[in-house]
Amino acid sequence: MKFTVPIGPQHPALKEPISLRMTLEGEVIRDADIRLGYNHRGLEKLAEEKTWLQNIYVTERICGICSHSHATCYTQGVEKLMEIEPPKRGIYLRFLVAELERVHSHLLWLGVAGHEAGFDTFFMYTWRDREVVMDILEMVSGNRVHYAINTLGGVRRDIDDLQKKKILDSLDFLRRRSEFYFKIGANEPSFVARIAGVGRLSKEDALALCAVGPTARASDISQDVRKDDPYGMYAEVPFEVATATSCDVLGRVVVRVKELMQSYNIIEFLLKNLPDGPVAVRAPRRAKPNEVVSRYEAPRGENIHYIKSNGTDKPERLKVRAPTLANYPATVVMLRNGFIADIPLIFAAIDPCICCAERAVVLVDGRSGEEKIVLMSELRKQAHERWKKAPLKKDAVWPF
Amino acid sequence: MNDTEIIEKAKALLGDKVLEVSNPALRRIFMKVDSKDLLKAVQVLKDDLGFAYVATISGLDGGEDFEIIYHFANAFSQLNLRTQVPKTNPHVESICAVIPGAILYERELQDMFGLVVDHIPDSRRLVLPDDWPAGNYPLRKDWKYERPPEKIPGEKS
Repeated sequence: MKFTVPIGPQHPALKEPISLRMTLEGEVIRDADIRLGYNHRGLEKLAEEKTWLQNIYVTERICGICSHSHATCYTQGVEKLMEIEPPKRGIYLRFLVAELERVHSHLLWLGVAGHEAGFDTFFMYTWRDREVVMDILEMVSGNRVHYAINTLGGVRRDIDDLQKKKILDSLDFLRRRSEFYFKIGANEPSFVARIAGVGRLSKEDALALCAVGPTARASDISQDVRKDDPYGMYAEVPFEVATATSCDVLGRVVVRVKELMQSYNIIEFLLKNLPDGPVAVRAPRRAKPNEVVSRYEAPRGENIHYIKSNGTDKPERLKVRAPTLANYPATVVMLRNGFIADIPLIFAAIDPCICCAERAVVLVDGRSGEEKIVLMSELRKQAHERWKKAPLKKDAVWPF
Repeated sequence: MNDTEIIEKAKALLGDKVLEVSNPALRRIFMKVDSKDLLKAVQVLKDDLGFAYVATISGLDGGEDFEIIYHFANAFSQLNLRTQVPKTNPHVESICAVIPGAILYERELQDMFGLVVDHIPDSRRLVLPDDWPAGNYPLRKDWKYERPPEKIPGEKS
């Protein structure tokens, strides 16, 4: 017998409105369906009525966590349309904020993953350390969430030597903490056991379903726009693309911790090689009729903006694709054949809170629909059998 | 494999199916095919040129017809395959048979432009609400949003 359980769109445990419809057989998810649109703001239509400059602030408000990603993706596209080149110092500062944002976003994600895995100490530690990055971002840009540092032709604020020193000092602390997080897995086997083998996404599925970002990289696909299609100054910066081969939640945690380390190196490189000079150039009001495809590696994966101009001061068309949308088809595959208890882990940031496992003795066989009464000892035996067949990897170890 | 090699290979494999091709910037290729050759072109791009990842699909309202751009990417380059369909008969073939990950973008196209994607595996609405009035396609240029006049209950008429 199958049940369909709707979760959301309005649910006390959901942080954002999304409707998940889970088809369950017992506590095993047989199919999942995602219905979107509860938060659709008609932004692409709105962008056609705003000027090039106003749209920076519109695109910045697409997301609250990776706000800088969308604004940068849009800005670098429009700069190409306007045929202007920001000064080198401006580019370095723009991507300094971008990497700081990646650090804060990954620390946030790690905390949520720890929380969903039942490891709340991890959550509190990472979120405490995230405050260090938030303070740097506030110092550099003046804001904690929407940094508003981008402008057409560069950035709006410069940094001085004292700020530079402060960031470098904080980096030492963050590096030490992240190394500690990487080691935590080895000393905390229950954490690894909880996340290993959960939410499997094979390399073939990830490729076919066009997964992006850490989700794809955890399935052993070395795909990173910063490496494949270097924008800004990424062609000059030495860094490695972090991948994992385990194709599960463990892999996604490992990829993010490794990326944190890479981001610290990039930030250090940017600060130590920060060129002198102006931070912005003047941008024209209009752009010639043309089109451009702008790509950007956001913390969650590839952002892509398609921008078409028609010679006026407003875009003819702005198409935005955020990385989460690209990962939805893959999420359905990850959920399939998993357990109800894994939904929050797989969805990570969403906590749908289904805990209606009946502890009755009347069992309905999932396949035949036949009802029978069993003894507690028999039930225990069945549970033990099922646990043996579970997709969890019991001997998983943290990859050093 | 650089941009020139990709263009040469695509031209050799697709022959006169390639209507236009341009390379305006490094790692940006724009290619145009007829809408009836779309599936064949996507198949060739995936199998022979390694463009298995479709980043998104953009729709454009060009007045008389719709322009649809499929944004592909691989480790070497980024390719944009464009096709045109007339507004009077807006039918385009689904590419989900070749690349299953394109499903959400095709559903979005149907919602926003009123295009009909033939043979789409799942044709339900994606972003528009279930009670959205039929025949309203927000990203068409002639569609304007009109806010309904506000009614306050118990107000003096």
